[in-house]
Parts: sequence; C-alpha cells; structure tokens
Amino acid sequence: MVGNTAEAEDLTQEAFLQLFRKIATFRGESAFSTWLHRLAVNVVLMKLRKKSGTETSLDEMTEPDEESGGPRRDFGGPDLRLSGSVDRVNLQRAVEQLPPGYKAVFVLHDVQGYEHNEIAEIMQCSIGNSKSQLHKARMRLRELLHEALRAKAREDRKAAGADSGGKD
Amino acid sequence: MQATSCQDFLNQADAWMEGERHPDASAHFRQCPACRGALEDLSAIRSEARSWSAEEAEPSSRVWTSLLAQLEQEGLIRETLAAEPAGATTGWLRGWFKALPRPALAAAYLAILIAGAFALSRPINKRINEAQWLDRTQVSTSPLSAQLATEQNAAYSLHDSDPAVAASLHQNLAIVDNYIALCEKSVQEEPQNEMARDYLYGAYQQKADLLAQMTERGETIQ
Repeated sequence: MVGNTAEAEDLTQEAFLQLFRKIATFRGESAFSTWLHRLAVNVVLMKLRKKSGTETSLDEMTEPDEESGGPRRDFGGPDLRLSGSVDRVNLQRAVEQLPPGYKAVFVLHDVQGYEHNEIAEIMQCSIGNSKSQLHKARMRLRELLHEALRAKAREDRKAAGADSGGKD
Repeated sequence: MQATSCQDFLNQADAWMEGERHPDASAHFRQCPACRGALEDLSAIRSEARSWSAEEAEPSSRVWTSLLAQLEQEGLIRETLAAEPAGATTGWLRGWFKALPRPALAAAYLAILIAGAFALSRPINKRINEAQWLDRTQVSTSPLSAQLATEQNAAYSLHDSDPAVAASLHQNLAIVDNYIALCEKSVQEEPQNEMARDYLYGAYQQKADLLAQMTERGETIQ
C-alpha cells in the first residue's frame, strides 16, 4: 500500500505499538479482527495523509473532479488496450499515485479479498462509499496505466526515430 | 426504453465484473467495442492485483528490535530479553511475556497472542480452499493452546491449598473448555465460517480472562 519496504516496516512497527497502547480500549463491540484491521488501516492512512501534507477525511481523499461521478474523461483512447501490459511494476506505480482513500479500498478489496461490508466496518464508512471508492480507484488506475502506455509508446517512437536518423 | 450509454455502462462495470447482467447493459456490451475494451482492462487490473495476495511479506528483525526498544522506552514492558530463535511465530511475544509485570499484564499478553492467532488464521486472500483455512486455524491456535495450558497449570498451583477455590476453578475451566471444544468442532465442520472462528477466538479469550483473574487472585492471597 505504501510501495516501499522500509516504510511498510515502519508502519508495521507503529501498528504493533498502537496495539499495545490501545489494547485496553477494545470493548468487544466488533470482532477483534475488525478492530485490529481498523487500527492498522488507520495507522497507514494517517501516514499517507501526512505524506500528502493534508488532514482530510476519507471522503475527501478522492479527486474533486471525480466526485460528480464517473470517470473524468473518455476511457484512454479506443486504440489502446491494457491487456497483456498490466504487470506488477506498472500497476504498483499506478497504485502509488492513487489518493489514499482509493488506495486503501482498492488494496483491501482487490488485493486482500475483503467484501464491501467488511471494508465499510474497517474504514468506518458506508458500503456505498466503499463501492464508489473502489469503482473510482479502478477507473483511475486504468487512466494512469493508459497514460503510462502512451508515454512508453511515445518514447519508443522517439527512440525508433533517433535510430533511423542515425543510420541515414 | 432509453439505451444504456457508455458512461452508464461503465458506472455499472463493477457489478458486471461480479457477474450481474442487466439486459440493457448486455445489449450495450454486445454493440460497444470501447466498453468491451474497458472491461478487459479492468479485469486485467483486478487479475494482476489478486495475484499480489499470494505473496506474504515477513518484516525484518529490525522491526521487532526497534519495537521492543520503543515499548521499553514507553514503559509498556520492563526489560530487554535475549533474542528468541528465529522462525518461532510467537517467540518474540513469549519473550515479552516474561518481562511483563505478572499478573497484571498477563491478560494483555494473552489478548495479543489471541489477536496474533486470529490474524494468522485469516488468510490475506479469502478465496482459498477449506483445507487451507483449517490448516491456518490449527497453526495459529496451537501456540495459543500451549500458552493457555501453561497458565492453567500456574493457576492450579496457586490455588491447590484452598480446596473450595480449586474446585470452583476446575468447574469454571471445565465450562470454558467445553465451550472451546464446541467451537473447535464448529470450525472443523465449517472452516470457512468466519463467525465460527470468531466464536472460537472469543472462547479462547474467555479462558485467558478467567486464568488471568485466578492468577491475580492467587498471587494477591499469597
């Protein structure tokens, strides 16, 4: 979720510290696993918020122009297809660029396999909000991957042009 | 009837990917190559993301060393202990337990052990088979059972001079053990039933609480 092993380890440590500090506040009102996951997710979200330099709620951790619903513009150009070009590295890069709220829901749902009702409990948001964030996260990832694909195509063309120019 | 637009179709893309097929959406899907392409893209993204869950990273020893130092600094544990052999899932927790002021923090230790067991039993990717669920539950509860057995012996030895208290302890532990056995049976029968596993860890927690109380009472009397 943070895309960096050292940072992930720092957050692991912080999550365990919080567990020790807050274990006495667990009242059994939800499953312990949910409480523990919420605590860990909060640690990560706090970190992501600090990184982005803002103190925002989950609802605000999206991109304003997408709040009206639906993707921001057309879907990456009809000629480009991601199929076959989505690999670990470029998807990881795209996930790193997501706003924290999108990123958290995407990782919990698509990577870790949680259902929306569980995510809603962990993130303390509504099920509808979880679904909406996931949808926007996926659409934004698609855009980012298309942008990366187009940038690579441009670079390839430039390199090919330079090669043919050099041969003349 | 108004035809589904690309925007409408893509707004419902998640439901489509989960297998929902509304007739209007199906008609749009058949006639719109752009939306078919978009769904292919989204499926490729989801498929790649799912493959990440197979990899479970283990934090380096730096994390535990640093955490131990921080806990000492904050007074949450009392002293540094010799490092446990590598590879023991709960070894470092057992080590901390020895440093806790007993019995006040014994319950906290057991709570953390139970939390750890619960976390270990919960696969990152829930789409795994029953045998894997069962295996994870067994692996995660075995150190917990061992620690509870140790605590039980300690509680018995603290109360063996008072037959009435010892009998009450036996009786209460028998009730909790019976409850744990019932929960274990439920988990055996339905390894993927999250509620059954919740009850099992709840039962362990009850036993831990009971033992912590009895240990505290025994040490107060002595």
